[in-house]
Amino acid sequence: MFVNFFYTLRDKGIPVTPTSFLRLQKALGMGLIESLDDFYSVTRSLLVKSERYFDIYDQAFSVAFRGMMEQELTDAELTDTIKAMLSEWLKDPGGMAEALGIPEEQLKKMTPEELVEHFLKRLKEQTEAHHGGNHWIGSHGTSPTGHSGYHPGGMRIGGESRNKSAIKVAMERRYRDYSQTGPITASQMGEALKRLKHLQPAGPQDVVNIDKTIYQTMRNAGEIEIVFDRRLADRLKIKLLIDNGGWSMDPYVEIVQALFHYAQFQFKELEIYYFHNTIYSKVWLDPHRYKKPVPVDEFARSDPETRLILVGDASMAPYELNDPRGAIYVGQNEAQPSVNYLKFLAKTFRHSVWLNPVGQDSWFYTWTVKQIAGIFPMFELSLDGLEKAVHYLTSRN
Amino acid sequence: MTTSENRPAKFSGGTRYVLDDELAKIVNISMALEMPLLLKGEPGTGKTMLAHAIAESLRMPLIILNVKSSMKLIDALYQYDTLTRLNDSRFADSGRDVSNIEDYIKMGKIGQAFVADKKVVLLIDEIDKADTDFQDDMLDILDQMQFDIMEVDRTVRAKNRPVIVITSNAKKDLSDPFLGRCNFHHIAFPDRDMMRKIISVHFPDLNRDLTAACLEMFYRLREVRGVEKKPATRELINWMRALQADPDFQLKQLKSANIPFLGVLFKKSTDLYLASHQ
Repeated sequence: MFVNFFYTLRDKGIPVTPTSFLRLQKALGMGLIESLDDFYSVTRSLLVKSERYFDIYDQAFSVAFRGMMEQELTDAELTDTIKAMLSEWLKDPGGMAEALGIPEEQLKKMTPEELVEHFLKRLKEQTEAHHGGNHWIGSHGTSPTGHSGYHPGGMRIGGESRNKSAIKVAMERRYRDYSQTGPITASQMGEALKRLKHLQPAGPQDVVNIDKTIYQTMRNAGEIEIVFDRRLADRLKIKLLIDNGGWSMDPYVEIVQALFHYAQFQFKELEIYYFHNTIYSKVWLDPHRYKKPVPVDEFARSDPETRLILVGDASMAPYELNDPRGAIYVGQNEAQPSVNYLKFLAKTFRHSVWLNPVGQDSWFYTWTVKQIAGIFPMFELSLDGLEKAVHYLTSRN
Repeated sequence: MTTSENRPAKFSGGTRYVLDDELAKIVNISMALEMPLLLKGEPGTGKTMLAHAIAESLRMPLIILNVKSSMKLIDALYQYDTLTRLNDSRFADSGRDVSNIEDYIKMGKIGQAFVADKKVVLLIDEIDKADTDFQDDMLDILDQMQFDIMEVDRTVRAKNRPVIVITSNAKKDLSDPFLGRCNFHHIAFPDRDMMRKIISVHFPDLNRDLTAACLEMFYRLREVRGVEKKPATRELINWMRALQADPDFQLKQLKSANIPFLGVLFKKSTDLYLASHQ
């Protein structure tokens, strides 16, 4: 039983094992699972062995068993949906127009009230709840209006649940924060910090430890064995460059800053600079990018062993990267295109990485991300990505 | 046990422990399948308390193995007390038979759980502190329910399969074979309703306004940005205990900027600073 569900979990990347699946069958056979709710908790505890995968499990579960779900939107959910729709409308009028089936021009003229009215009318026309299309309003569609859609705008409004069925619980996606693939969240701060603690250099093993050498030599009955220790290496200097322009980066700026501030004591020097989208001739020491500009050329004078960490989504219009006049601010005239400055930085600091809060899957849809990933080694701003980045920064080559 | 063989005893919460439905199901299924239950979760969310509650509710004795980083597996199984034997062989006044090594074998915590006449609850606390070898070897023994005492060439078999609860703070990742043999649950941080129940279990005669005000403040403080170690249930209970013990405490203090006993909630100096200067 539930073989398909088992393979769905496997396909989604949860390391489920046949043994655990057999155990589930045993539990089913013993009559220990009496309802879907039981099935939800028990299967998870048997098959999924880390809270990192709970979120994926929740998603898979709600898809697999959605047929059993209550399909009517309650008032509260409706309010939430409308709220979400309005915010989505502000972010992406084009997509919204398409979803509601009215021309974008017309949509732009509508007031929020009219939009809500139109939406409600649309909802009444629906004779049945619809899940998984891209046009109607329902849940799990690609249309931005609705509950837990996969729309790249990324809105998610979990309706507050009352009588919680297992699917509703799964739909709430309570374990979103623990998911390892998603970008770092505040609750992962501790875990992230542990990974950052490895960001320290290791000297070569070339210091003789006399005590241990004597001890080992005695143990070998006089056969001389020299024991070497690692030489103490100086702590690292870090330059952290954060893209703090635009709402897409807002949630991550503070987390990244807090993260590095906590780890500060383990670095010799930590400097934080800010930029918007990409780097031209200047970066700024103040988050408002106004008071304290620092010319990028000056970086040439700093220690080349400094670790350079850039944080940004690397998504912008191609001309911002390649045109000398690409800077999005009026009056900021540059002699060179941004891409040259990036290459200059990558050449100056041989240890540099770019951390991207956007998931790796979607990097190659954006042209500028591809470009920048060609200049700096790019890692996801997730626990896994951070681990890899730290490993890369400390490796000796 | 009072229940029959195929209907195992069911756990439904202790007097000082509020159990959510999901966890109750998982505890019961673990007991039914005779698998160890591995619990993870933020510190202070009641992982250790659960084992106490199970033991209390099923009226089984509780044996606790506190794992330490330096611990060897053999320490958890048995100990051959050579020192006492040496002492006895010189002074011979103890009534123990010096030539019988069996007399000098002492059971460790896992050993005690195996030889106990009754079914017991075995809590293995903070397994993540030990190294991977310890974890894997231990699971082998818990799987087979037996171990050998080398000195006397004897195999100890479990008389009753204990109910095993293992907790981890996720300092290290546990190995795959280990995880494969356990049932897993992650205790999420309780929401407000759950927390209210937990509070009422611990402070049955606390007035409602105070509870509400404390919870309000507590959840607000958990939201303070950049805090490394967020206060958890344990801190909340201690904090409320501190507030209760203070004769000068008045409800309106919670609403002012100066919150009393913040140090009970925040244990790190930077966190404390952040919380008091929010």
